[in-house]
Amino acid sequence: MTDVERLFRTYNAALVRYLTRRLGDRDWAEEVAQETFVRALRQTSIQNERAWLFAVATNLVRDEARKDMRRRKHLALLAEQEREEVVEPEETTLERAQEAAMARKAVDALAERDRLALLMREEGLDYNEIAEALQLSPGSVGTTLSRARRRLVESYEALQKNREEREKNAAS
Amino acid sequence: MQHLDEGTIHSWLDGALSADEAVRVEVHVKECPQCAAAVAEARGFIAGSSRILTALDNAPRGVMPAAVARKRVDSIVWRVAATVLVVAAGTLVVVRNRGADEQLMSAKTERVTLSSQPSAATEQQAPPAGGPASTSTAGTSPKAAGGGAPAIARSGVSAQRTTALAGQPAGVSGLAGAPTSQAPTFAPSRVAAVAAMDAAAEPERLKVVGSPQGIGANVTLYEVAPGDTVTLTESIPISLNSIVVRGAIRAPMAQQSVGKSAAAPSKGRADAATTVAQDSQRAGGISLAAPAVSAPIASQVEMANQLNAITWTDPITRTTLTLSGRMSEARLQELRIRIDRERAAAAAKKNP
Repeated sequence: MTDVERLFRTYNAALVRYLTRRLGDRDWAEEVAQETFVRALRQTSIQNERAWLFAVATNLVRDEARKDMRRRKHLALLAEQEREEVVEPEETTLERAQEAAMARKAVDALAERDRLALLMREEGLDYNEIAEALQLSPGSVGTTLSRARRRLVESYEALQKNREEREKNAAS
Repeated sequence: MQHLDEGTIHSWLDGALSADEAVRVEVHVKECPQCAAAVAEARGFIAGSSRILTALDNAPRGVMPAAVARKRVDSIVWRVAATVLVVAAGTLVVVRNRGADEQLMSAKTERVTLSSQPSAATEQQAPPAGGPASTSTAGTSPKAAGGGAPAIARSGVSAQRTTALAGQPAGVSGLAGAPTSQAPTFAPSRVAAVAAMDAAAEPERLKVVGSPQGIGANVTLYEVAPGDTVTLTESIPISLNSIVVRGAIRAPMAQQSVGKSAAAPSKGRADAATTVAQDSQRAGGISLAAPAVSAPIASQVEMANQLNAITWTDPITRTTLTLSGRMSEARLQELRIRIDRERAAAAAKKNP
């Protein structure tokens, strides 16, 4: 097994999950993950593999996002329009879709650095790896994560509350 | 102790504190109800944010075209395989060419010009785009296709060994017409010979600063003074039969027209090599590994004019040794004596 194959097998799942959570699109996430491993091919040596892969993936997203922002916004708009036209799905699926939409909204509301640190931590990166990938000082990772977690939970709960109120109003 | 800040609490819960700090936090949390409450809240945030993030995992595959996405699933494996193939093929072509020149030089002259390097680079870099271009690749790589049978056999072997080394099916279909008798036993014995000579050639006094792995030649870089290195290239005799002929006809063949090589009797074999060359090019396009192979070649070409080299035959192993470096031939001869002595000592140590 080559080194890149080993990297791929070891980190692909976590990297794709991280990117999916970051981007909200699994295809895009897989695309970026694969590009990350292709970049790894060109490296003669990587000191901290996991931090390197997550940092490169993050930068790829940033670069691509800048480039494709307008195109993707347009496509997302089209996709949303299409979803609205679709017949209402059964309740459990709807419930889950609403949860996902709220989670997406809450995650998107975080500051970029907080969001990335949190998503990396969820994939098992330790504080040093997060610091390396995001070029933070290791001492500030705890503060970054605590802020990210608090804000994520609080904004999700706020969205949940809004939704419940809307449903109550609709029912009455 | 002051109350704990939220960052420290999260660090502690994430296991990111040193043992000492962790003990201090633990002791404080036991004594301080306020901080104990903060810890409980932090635990809630950690669990809550994990749960929220899990909801994102069923993300749609909406935005990108589905067909493209499905196709990509295995492509990383192919990229890896393609890169291995390109590197193997590149190493083979370059090193074998170098070996050919050294054989030729040992027969004719003591002076090395490294004139073959540009053509090695051409083989690597010739674009396969379009009909004429790909024909020229065929004409360059197996230059002998229009000229002589032994050289054709060599190109076939080269292609086959590339396949054997890379362990990939790519290029196999194109090899249908290639000779099959030589390759299977050839490659392993060559690799074994390289390994054995690596061990035998280990010098004790001259500082070895690198030994690039190659097939067809054993290359050792010695540092004789800071920043001043010489290259010892040891060709492996097993390649003599096929290579010397090819080297001898290289100069006239390089000038021959493309049309002639395409019309050669062994067109099928030329095609075999073409297939490999094209596969390599294609794979290079995907993985971007090709530049890594060709860049050192280019630098060698540039350096060739300033290099001196001497060639001699090792009396024990019967291999051709070439020593090259940016210094006078007299100095190289001096170093040759030292290297010979060290090689003899190493060999004696190995087989007393």
